[in-house]
Amino acid sequence: MAVLEVKGLCKEYPSFRLEDISFSVEPGSIMGFIGRNGAGKTTTLKSILNLVHPSAGEITYFGLPLAAHEREIKQRIGYAGGAVDYYKRKRIADIVDVTRMFYSNWDDAEYRRYLDAFSLDPAKTPAQLSEGMKVKLNLTLALSHHAELLILDEPTSGLDPVSRDELLDAFTFLRDQGVAVLFSTHITSDLEKCADHITYIVKGRLIASAPMDAFFEQNKADGFGSTLEEIMIRHEKEDLREKLAH
Amino acid sequence: MKNLLIKDIRLAVLPLTWIFLAATLLTLVPGYPILLGAFFACLGIFQSFQVSREMNDVLYTALLPVKKADVVASRYAIVCLIQLLAFLLMAALTVVRMTVLSGSETYAKNALMNPSPVFLGFALLIFAAFNVLFVGGFFRTAYKIGMPFLFFGIATTLLVFVGEALHFIPSMKYLNTPAGEHLGGQFLFLLACAAAYAGATLLSCRASQRRFERIDL
Repeated sequence: MAVLEVKGLCKEYPSFRLEDISFSVEPGSIMGFIGRNGAGKTTTLKSILNLVHPSAGEITYFGLPLAAHEREIKQRIGYAGGAVDYYKRKRIADIVDVTRMFYSNWDDAEYRRYLDAFSLDPAKTPAQLSEGMKVKLNLTLALSHHAELLILDEPTSGLDPVSRDELLDAFTFLRDQGVAVLFSTHITSDLEKCADHITYIVKGRLIASAPMDAFFEQNKADGFGSTLEEIMIRHEKEDLREKLAH
Repeated sequence: MKNLLIKDIRLAVLPLTWIFLAATLLTLVPGYPILLGAFFACLGIFQSFQVSREMNDVLYTALLPVKKADVVASRYAIVCLIQLLAFLLMAALTVVRMTVLSGSETYAKNALMNPSPVFLGFALLIFAAFNVLFVGGFFRTAYKIGMPFLFFGIATTLLVFVGEALHFIPSMKYLNTPAGEHLGGQFLFLLACAAAYAGATLLSCRASQRRFERIDL
């Protein structure tokens, strides 16, 4: 059974439309969600978390519809919009003390294990952490309640190459432990290192959602290139020189 | 719901908000529009809303496994708790001024509103205005606080003006008589204001719950 299934997701704004987005995330897999800035990645992720209200579409987690089982589902998933961007001046220990109350399956031993593994000091505040450490804190919070699916919005953006590589290692380790990871990014090289599936959207429309190998084969056959970067550029690059000339 | 209250107290409510409760001491200041004590208590709550907005409290809370309606209800509950504390402090000071200090010449010459059940009733109306105009206004967007606070400020100004002016009308002089006179009528006024506070807060909370379900975060 898919951990997350999205069918026909639509969201209309006055100046932007997300149209008929469908994909599914399997247990123990990494789904890379790609698209250029403004393509609708964050809107999609916020829609599947019920932070924004879709105009149409069905969203199910673990076979349960989100609308009717939101609380139960949120016990089993973790979300991080990249780095921690809430209560930046509160001590990590205080944030954790509050957060743990809401999760019936919070595991203090797991929490301490991830604190040690990521070298996080609970006496610090998120504001005192580097960007990479903030992402690790978010992962720690999600994994300490045994999240089966991590939804990460551009977790590697703005990180140095070493921090990015460390995070990708963490993602592949978690995948091997059976955790599913859905992460949006426009840093295509990250996905080439770790993703099993790719979902690609352009201007709010779904271009493809497929296993990595099939995605590459199809794009190669269609002449779009053999790397994610080439594929994105050939799909989307606008001739700015010509536009500027007029 | 209990966890959300603890979350608000530990993360969202500033120490400054509790410190602002000291403004209820204005109840004892002669020749001062003492209703402003209620306004300052609300100003303390406003500070917490402002900082928790900057700290992305709404997003943090919305991602927790909780019902959105409970997020709103807990915020109203914490606001009411702080207002109740302010009310109790003002009530205690009112009792002191109506009993122990009732013979004080300074207070006897006070041309402005005296602490009484009527004063406490007007304080509840100011709290009700805060809950409807500010808290209710905040939950229209979950981030805009400027205009809701401006509307609350205007409503407070009107309430203070009315509270301070009414007792100058001869037929309503009983609203500000010295200690112990016309207490029956004054308590009836307080009771009516308490009912208005409870009703307005409940209706505002329900409307905010509906709005918060609809808005995109």
